Amino acid sequence: MAAKQIGRTLATVAVAAVMTLAGCSAPSPDAPEPAETTWTEVEEAAVGQTVSLWMWGGDEQGNRYVDSVLAPAAAEAGVTLRRVPVADTGEAVNRILAERQAGITDGDVDLVWVNGDNFATGKQAGAWLCNWTDQLPNMQYTDPDDPLLLSDFGTPVDGCEAPWHKAQFTLVYDEASIPEPPATLEGVLQWAKDNPGRFTYPAPPDFTGSVFIREVLTRVADDVPLEYSDEAYEQHSAPLFDTLNDLAPSLWRAGRTYPQTVEELNQLFADGQVDMMMTYGPATLTDLVGRGTFPDTTRVLLLDEGTVGNASFLAVPSTSGNSAGARVVANIALSPQQQLEKAKPDVWGQFTVLDSDRLNDEDRASFDALPESPVVPTYEELSRNARPELATAWVPALDEGWRRTVLAGR
Amino acid sequence: MAVGTVARAGRVLLVVWFLLPLVPILLWSVANQWRFPALSPSEWGLTGLRSALSAGAVDAFATSAILGVSVAGLATPAGALAARGLVLHRVHFRGPAAALLLAPLAFPPFAVAMGLDVLILRAGIPNLIGAVLILTVVAIPYTTYIMRVGFGAYDIRYEEEARTLGASHWVVFWQVQIPLLAPAIATAGFLAFLVGWTDYIVTLLVGGGRLVSVPVLVGAFASGSGNQPVVAALSVAAIAPPLVLLLLLWRLRGRRAP
Repeated sequence: MAAKQIGRTLATVAVAAVMTLAGCSAPSPDAPEPAETTWTEVEEAAVGQTVSLWMWGGDEQGNRYVDSVLAPAAAEAGVTLRRVPVADTGEAVNRILAERQAGITDGDVDLVWVNGDNFATGKQAGAWLCNWTDQLPNMQYTDPDDPLLLSDFGTPVDGCEAPWHKAQFTLVYDEASIPEPPATLEGVLQWAKDNPGRFTYPAPPDFTGSVFIREVLTRVADDVPLEYSDEAYEQHSAPLFDTLNDLAPSLWRAGRTYPQTVEELNQLFADGQVDMMMTYGPATLTDLVGRGTFPDTTRVLLLDEGTVGNASFLAVPSTSGNSAGARVVANIALSPQQQLEKAKPDVWGQFTVLDSDRLNDEDRASFDALPESPVVPTYEELSRNARPELATAWVPALDEGWRRTVLAGR
Repeated sequence: MAVGTVARAGRVLLVVWFLLPLVPILLWSVANQWRFPALSPSEWGLTGLRSALSAGAVDAFATSAILGVSVAGLATPAGALAARGLVLHRVHFRGPAAALLLAPLAFPPFAVAMGLDVLILRAGIPNLIGAVLILTVVAIPYTTYIMRVGFGAYDIRYEEEARTLGASHWVVFWQVQIPLLAPAIATAGFLAFLVGWTDYIVTLLVGGGRLVSVPVLVGAFASGSGNQPVVAALSVAAIAPPLVLLLLLWRLRGRRAP
């Protein structure tokens, strides 16, 4: 009898506890702002903090740069930098949103290497700390009017993430198979038709595959607005899908199947099954050729009309309890020394976000003296006629349209 | 005779079927370079292993081992108790009870983790304990199922005999129940260990990045280009502990067989 009663009481308590725990007060979507008012305060608060940097772990050079170049520099400022390798940045965002829902203020994510829709998703949910990048002393070396640093795939940055490096969408080919490469995207599509089975692109929603179809969109349709609207989509998507459907029979495996990820496409290229590939991270090419993953005859295709570029960033989650340390790391990562080190092809080869006009003579000379990669042209060449990315809202619309029109059409 | 030959051929075919996909992984783990269409690696070497070690493979193995052993240590007794109740005792609604116990099998761990992680965070449960708890829930259906089979073949009269002879609860437990159920317990424990050892999503999301286990490391590397050697080296190394356990399990079963 007594035992039964205790059991019943326990059950009631348990149910009540679960209800309390689960009864979510929805977190406010307003982005919090940092408490510290001066940079000195931030630096003082940072000492002794351990910062967990969540970043895509598929790039060994990037991992090594963070572990052996950035982390020691952070240690000098009294901050321990810990790298958490993830397969997809979305996992970091998921974790932050869960922490936010649970009302955690000392979460396990302190810094995230982020870009594009992951940033937009987090910003919409108020997951990022905002208005803190103006405080960073090293922001003075960036161009305040640089469009790539002001907007991340159409989402205003608003000081919610600090720039880390720039990237350029790049087509890559094997010179041994294509001695006379085309010079425009139209030329590439024509070449693909003339050489059946030697070209393909990753199926959207793969990030790079999506970029490729947006590149084709801006070539086949005139004046595609950066802002998304249903009318603009209706007007411009038809010629895009016509072009891609027209191209499909000439693709690898006659377009009946596509590589699911850009890594699969890279593997096809490494294996010599296709003669061209694409990447949004040309920085890794030097190392991949050096390691023998890609042939020595790997070359970057410079298109006359240019390609899209973007910047990637370091963001501090609003749930971080070590946000001072995270901001100090973001500032160090932005220093001319770190940007220079990271730009070396044998370190990581990432393009700097700094504006060379704002550097002192010594730093500028060091950047100018960077060894040239045998594979990747300089950022100036690569970003010639560069265009900004279309707004994030275009991405899911085009991906879905591609799935229904092109993929289902074969 | 002919039947024996066919059976043996079938067994060989089955082994080949399981082992063949492992051959490229084994080769990649000791290759620096291997390009299509070459049939064997073009350059042998241990860069994969070196990369794995410098990326923290040792810590990752320790983390995975802690997860696997903890999940096995919790899910096996829980499964055994549930199975004993289902098989040897009168249970109201036996069918629905069994279905409820097996229910987590129907949901992918991802779905389980996505809602529970908020609950666990809110309750302030530490990362490691939270991950172990959720993985234990995932493992319990397996251990329950195996232990049900174990208890099905278990003759409770041995227990009753020992009790009649004056054996205490403890003596019955250690000298009768455990030895008779050892093979089933070992199998259940092995499966529960695998759940902790191989999990990716719960370890990462609920572990909050503090638990960089072998699958987390493999997942991160596998999402990039040109990492086949390190992914293969880690994968081959990750197969070793379960393989050793499996061999021990076989030996145990062999001893028990009449």
